Amino acid sequence: MNQKLSEKLSALFNLEVGSISTLLEEPGRLHFGRDGLMDEEEIVDLSAEFLNLMAGLLGAKNPKDRNCPEFHALEIFFSALAQKVLIRGGKVEEVVRYAQLMQYTLIEALEQDSGIAFTESRSVLLYFNSLFNELIMEVFRTYLAERERVLEAQEAELRETSTPITEIWDGVLTLPIIGTLDSSRTMLVMEALLSRVAKDHAEVVVMDLTGVQNIDSQVSHHLIQIVRAVQLMGSNAIITGIQPEIARALISLNIDFTGITTRASLSDGLKEAFRQMDIHVSHKAS
Amino acid sequence: MIAGLHLTRIGKDSFLLEPSQALNIRDQARLLDAIAGALQQKRAVCLYYDLAGQKLIDQVYYAWLEALARTLAAVNVRMVCIHMQPTAAFALSVFVKGKPCFETALDIPDNHFSARPVEGSRMS
Repeated sequence: MNQKLSEKLSALFNLEVGSISTLLEEPGRLHFGRDGLMDEEEIVDLSAEFLNLMAGLLGAKNPKDRNCPEFHALEIFFSALAQKVLIRGGKVEEVVRYAQLMQYTLIEALEQDSGIAFTESRSVLLYFNSLFNELIMEVFRTYLAERERVLEAQEAELRETSTPITEIWDGVLTLPIIGTLDSSRTMLVMEALLSRVAKDHAEVVVMDLTGVQNIDSQVSHHLIQIVRAVQLMGSNAIITGIQPEIARALISLNIDFTGITTRASLSDGLKEAFRQMDIHVSHKAS
Repeated sequence: MIAGLHLTRIGKDSFLLEPSQALNIRDQARLLDAIAGALQQKRAVCLYYDLAGQKLIDQVYYAWLEALARTLAAVNVRMVCIHMQPTAAFALSVFVKGKPCFETALDIPDNHFSARPVEGSRMS
């Protein structure tokens, strides 16, 4: 039964591709043309490509096989479409509604063109329902992957801007840390800082914790690890701005501060850095 | 002749040790004797150990550095590790809790930069 149906549809598509393609342009115009997401030429190409892929699937050996290359090609088509629309500022709903409308338009167009009452055939409707559900799933998968990629990029950007390493003087790096320090962020800070020490030949690194409100055992160990790594590279590390709560937490966690220079404020830390480098900064004599 | 060991005089009483990949740190006793002997003979007071080529320092390599630093301290030579790579510093900071028995510096101080190889001190 299914085999016969596929042969019929495939034969139909081979003969009538041009006329059906025109009918399938309407959903594209409705969902992508009005908001200017696609121009007329793109919409025409889109429906022609969709129809070719659909004809390929219906003409495949087993059109119900979700592992066949023809179905995979349709998945890629919808994934690429979703990506294109999202990048152009469209919504995922537009692509989903487009796919749904395409399903109904396709069945109606086939019926109209062939004279076969597809809309009354339960098996045909079930087949297209299941097929388009899978394709809509692919649209959502693409949407989620895209969202995740954007969130990751934003997170990375935020991390980078929240830990700005600045060379405040020749050989002096400052790193003001703001917000909550977690293990992954601490590791990123360490990686960025050690690379900068090597690149800039920094003699002193001043890490300012004034903006850090919370610290746990693991993170405090990582902080000490950063200081030790900086020292091992031959630089000096100064920690400034430790809040009383953080100091209390560090003491209760038995963190060893031996050999670590601390100062109350960033300004004191800079003075200490200049002192270590034998730099004298003074008011201009009047 | 010890493979992988390059010792160069820099300045009056300092030396630069540039180990290559051929340096076999498992041959520790022989290396320590050779380095300490050469430095003592040249009346060195400071050895700069160049770690530029050492991307990773594991416990075995760290033990070698410590053994060398302690041996040199016994013959009154300071050991300063220079050019430690960020990856190596990160790896070391994981397992080194206290202060290592060698000093560290970013580079050789500017006043030592009149480097010239000393006759007979190249050991490879």
